[in-house]
Amino acid sequence: MITAAPVMEVTVFGLSSGAVFALLALGLVLIYRTTGVMNFAHWAIGLIAVVAYVMLTGLGAPAEVAMPLALAFGAGSGVLAYRLVFRKVSGARQIIVILISIGVAQLYASLAQFALGFEQFTRLEPWLPTGDMQVGTVAIRASEIITAAVAIGVAFVFLVWFRVSRAGRALRAVAQNREAAMLAGIDDVRYSSLAWGIGSALAALALLLVLPHSGGEQGGLITTFDVTPFGTLLIPAFGAALVGGLVHLPMAMVGGFVFGLARELMILAPKPWSDLRSSVAAILIVVLLLIRTERFFASRQELEALE
Amino acid sequence: MKTDSLVGAESNGHAETEALPALDEPQVAPRVRRGFSRAQLIGFGLLLLMAALPIPFGDFGFFVGQYALVYAILGMSVVVVTGYAGLISLMPYSFAGVGAMTTGVAMASWGWPFWLAALLSAVATVPIAVLVGISSVRLKGLYLAIATLTFSNALGETLFKWDAFTGGQSGWATVRPAVGPVNFNSDIWFYVLCLGVVFALLIMIEGLRTSRIGRAMLAVRDNELEAQALGINVYKTKLTAFVIGGMVAGLGGAFLAALVQLVTPTGFQSPIAEATSILLVTLVAIGGMDRAIGAFFGAVSLVVQQQVFQGAEFFYAFVGIYAAAVLILFLMFRPGGLVQVGKIQVALIRHRPVLGLAIVFAIVAVNVGLAWLFVSLSS
Repeated sequence: MITAAPVMEVTVFGLSSGAVFALLALGLVLIYRTTGVMNFAHWAIGLIAVVAYVMLTGLGAPAEVAMPLALAFGAGSGVLAYRLVFRKVSGARQIIVILISIGVAQLYASLAQFALGFEQFTRLEPWLPTGDMQVGTVAIRASEIITAAVAIGVAFVFLVWFRVSRAGRALRAVAQNREAAMLAGIDDVRYSSLAWGIGSALAALALLLVLPHSGGEQGGLITTFDVTPFGTLLIPAFGAALVGGLVHLPMAMVGGFVFGLARELMILAPKPWSDLRSSVAAILIVVLLLIRTERFFASRQELEALE
Repeated sequence: MKTDSLVGAESNGHAETEALPALDEPQVAPRVRRGFSRAQLIGFGLLLLMAALPIPFGDFGFFVGQYALVYAILGMSVVVVTGYAGLISLMPYSFAGVGAMTTGVAMASWGWPFWLAALLSAVATVPIAVLVGISSVRLKGLYLAIATLTFSNALGETLFKWDAFTGGQSGWATVRPAVGPVNFNSDIWFYVLCLGVVFALLIMIEGLRTSRIGRAMLAVRDNELEAQALGINVYKTKLTAFVIGGMVAGLGGAFLAALVQLVTPTGFQSPIAEATSILLVTLVAIGGMDRAIGAFFGAVSLVVQQQVFQGAEFFYAFVGIYAAAVLILFLMFRPGGLVQVGKIQVALIRHRPVLGLAIVFAIVAVNVGLAWLFVSLSS
């Protein structure tokens, strides 16, 4: 018999991991729509921001100060990748661009490894309150709830800004038709850089919400020689982006929560089914790929421009 | 608003696309004839020259060399799938894992000899390749990349965590093969054996390129619609590429198992971990994607460094940065990899022999100098 308490707990866990996937997916979709690059280096850029955070807190900066600086650093490394690499290959075949983004991921991951030194573990100081919070009858870690709230808030602000602000409209124009936007006097390189900056900052925020709080009171630990498994965060994030056909921002956000909740709620399933938990993302992604979600959200012309 | 920047951006974009000697320039269809072309003969000559490389370094040279050769075998599966058929697969190492684990089970648990186990490994990848192929071959580039990444992750979570297949944490112990009286147990003999396999595979995969199915793959890669109009069954071609690539990777996996002599599943569980699919794709992209010999060049240039610097933390991380930077630069400016660079070099030597040979000499001198520096620093 399933009682209310574990359901509540698992739902909060699902929402907070879903929020992280949603932030990653928003960044992926934003970058893909404006520049046509599916960024396999997304997690590595977030990792660079985490490294900046570790270094700043290691120098004695309070976590509240280190946090925005790390976000800015992440955004900067994203813009750098666009300016130096991806802008130069806008005409190349997609397969080349994907391979290049994998190369960028390796470059940033190796740099992160280099910067963290070669300790077995690196400890991350938490920047959110680490205590428990009483929700109804169950105690839930406060950072989980704050993660979900922060992510939803940031994503909401971003979506409104994208919809109504001048810069947001310029970004949408570049995404829809780069040439027409350029003819209308929009500096496409500037706005593409902006998209990379925002997308990378979202990735940095996502990783900074997860990693420093994975261990409760002690903060988080990352194993330095094993930084690459962070890449597995990217798989549900790709899935979330696929819910929006890789082009639709609000649906990508919804997708993040779908993947987060699906993964956590599987714990509650009866025994043989709960073993499927680790593969549920893969199954969902295959289904999404087979129904080709992109045709619901983008015109043929837009899709051709992206290819 | 800013007209000048607009025009600047426009002309800039143009110049850049022109400057890219892209792979997508329709390539001259390979001539169909018996025997080898001069380029192939030059490639094989270089191969023989490079095969002799470990001799001055003694045992350590052969120890590193066998790793490079096994990765060259694995890399050839990427050549078929990504280079010939243009399908971007991020799971070649999962197929290698299936091969390695099958060899492990067959040798350690059933007591099969290596050669039979290797044959089974190549065949064992076929059902998985067909399954993956059927469900994902209709997807276009980017979606296929995501799909294969997902499959790789799913296999890592299920198949490579199944203890009956992987031997659990302790893995399977394998022994190196023997043919009659010749035992390939030592590093030198295993190196020679791998060299033979690489050589045979090179001939087979170069032959595949000029065969009917290989030419169909190249046509599909260059323009799917055109290929279809020519009467090529696009999906069958892609599926065949997947199956051949899977079999080559499975065979490579068998040799990987014999190389390490103790196969554990950990390396195959995470899709983006180091020294996995990403390394294979990287080395093939650096070596030259659409030629079998590219896998060999890439393996020699990357895996050797990786193995040499394995213990040295500082150098190891440095190799990671260096390899990634080289990959990015190659893909941006020479998407054909080392093979393309080699072709340009041969043309240069033909037209301006002094300059061309001077460049070759400079490259060799720099590399030998760096190797000497490393050896003298570490001793």
